[in-house]
Amino acid sequence: MRFSVYQISRRGGREKNEDRMGYCYTRDSGLFALADGMGGHPEGEVASQMSLQMLAAQFQAEARTQLKDPKRFLNEGILAGHHQLLRYAVEHALLDTPRTTVVACVLQGREAWWAHCGDSRLYLVRGNRLIARTRDHSYSELQETLNGIVPLGDKVNRNVLFTCLGSPGKPVIDLVGPVQMQPGDRVMLCSDGLWGVVDDETITRELAAAPLGESVPELVELALRTAGDKSDNVTVIAVEWEAAEDEDTLAGIETAALGDDVFESTIQASGPGLDEELLDDDEIERSIREINEAIRRTAQKRG
Amino acid sequence: MSKPQKPAPLPPGTVVGGYQIIRKLAAGGFGVVYLAEDSERRLVALKEYLPSSLAERAPGELIPRVKPDKQPLYRLGLKSFFEEGRSLAQISHPSVVSVLNFFRENETVYMVMNYLQGDTLQDFIVTARDLKRDKVFRESTIRSLFDEILRGLRIVHQHKMLHLDIKPANIFITNDNKAVMLDFGAAREVLSKEGNFIRPMYTPGFAAPEMYRRDGSLGPWTDIYAIGACIYACMQGYPPNDAPQRIEKDRLGLSLSRLRNVYSDNLIEVTEWCMSLDPLARPQSVFALQKELSRETERRYTKLSFSERLKLQLENIKSGAKA
Repeated sequence: MRFSVYQISRRGGREKNEDRMGYCYTRDSGLFALADGMGGHPEGEVASQMSLQMLAAQFQAEARTQLKDPKRFLNEGILAGHHQLLRYAVEHALLDTPRTTVVACVLQGREAWWAHCGDSRLYLVRGNRLIARTRDHSYSELQETLNGIVPLGDKVNRNVLFTCLGSPGKPVIDLVGPVQMQPGDRVMLCSDGLWGVVDDETITRELAAAPLGESVPELVELALRTAGDKSDNVTVIAVEWEAAEDEDTLAGIETAALGDDVFESTIQASGPGLDEELLDDDEIERSIREINEAIRRTAQKRG
Repeated sequence: MSKPQKPAPLPPGTVVGGYQIIRKLAAGGFGVVYLAEDSERRLVALKEYLPSSLAERAPGELIPRVKPDKQPLYRLGLKSFFEEGRSLAQISHPSVVSVLNFFRENETVYMVMNYLQGDTLQDFIVTARDLKRDKVFRESTIRSLFDEILRGLRIVHQHKMLHLDIKPANIFITNDNKAVMLDFGAAREVLSKEGNFIRPMYTPGFAAPEMYRRDGSLGPWTDIYAIGACIYACMQGYPPNDAPQRIEKDRLGLSLSRLRNVYSDNLIEVTEWCMSLDPLARPQSVFALQKELSRETERRYTKLSFSERLKLQLENIKSGAKA
């Protein structure tokens, strides 16, 4: 597998950047993900970080060196992040759960799968055409999708999401794939800080016009300029699949030479926030028991 | 600002988990190692999880105190301590220190290991170096020593574990002449936490360049760099320059050329191979290195040419060299 990737995240006019992004890969599989921690709820940056960590950790555990079932992986990896957020809120006695959107894409073989929850988007651009884009889990996009058949009434705030990770109900996860990829295809994941101010036509045109190393920063700058002082966090991660080898503007990644055990990641798989709760007293006792069992087994082998 | 106090070790005579402490052997960032004896008066090494930057303990007290803001890191370190125990428990090899027991007491955890009598390779190097002969160790000694160490390291890697702090001070030579690797400090990884990133701590000179980078991909080749640096130290008597220095200006080839005609070309080349700055240019597995190191062909020695000698002398004058 060969791809080039470009990622960038800007705080914009906000006090904090609650967006997170990252990717990881083995020889035969790649995961690209982005999450946008939600304002109005506590610790948005914890939520987005945690959801990516869960995905990355699960990817590392399952991609040997391919995922058996990318669709199932995406669904379970995203749900695991959701459950982690609920646990986190309980254990930290938070009155409200940290919440986040998430969008993730798996590239494997010649195919792509993706999944999302909330309003972080994925765009797939082939040549100069927009082949696919995720539909936000917001009332306005829902209405567009339903083509006005089901009237929602005027009282609904159209920008409100009806699902995300960390909310009391089970999150809605849209799964897509497998989608056949063609060399040069571009997949872009972004937070609403980008698509909220730059329309789909512009995004498609820019992505098609220049190498990712130029088009992605250009799009992000455009979003920041347009939104001005009040700009939301703007985050983009974009991948060009089977990028032409002579393209020297970007560090392409060639995975074919990687060994079976190699796992690369830009997402830190564990952090104190995560481990702290994994290691309660029961866990400590269990670890000690396991180690002593291993010692006994090894001693027996030694005879 | 007062200097942070290191947590006090348990005093001799204290009994923990049925082991009676005789004395403190060593203290590091991760905790304290004691010499102790079990109920049948056999000697053991007892390692106490007590990260000096996170835990406090007043002299005479048993239970360490951890401030609430340091709890998450303390627990994370504990997890690594378990990882170390878990991995070591699965390994049974004469070149890898063995774990005998693992228990919880005083609100922390303890790992019981074989007590080894002897000295570290570091002690041997310093002693040999001070004799000021042209060779620090004989080549045959170096080859057989590292053959033994690599056998152990191979098993370690087979268990999907990296040592990440191989250095002469962590290689123990027992009184009955066996080389044993100590201090599988997975537990140290957390203690150099910086921002959101957790990196293993490293020892300059023995740490591969990728250990200094956040995104550095660590693998068997990282331990192999350290092995190369240890061989270097066994020949030269001193550790090599650290990786950042080498990236700035690499004098490795030059300092190894001082050893030409003292050690065989092959041993010098193997050292240079292991210590390639590019991880991919090193032997990718311990097995590949073992094969090269055990290749018993006739040893070739190449003298320095006149111009090379001249270059070395100039270099010595410039750097006021110790060699």
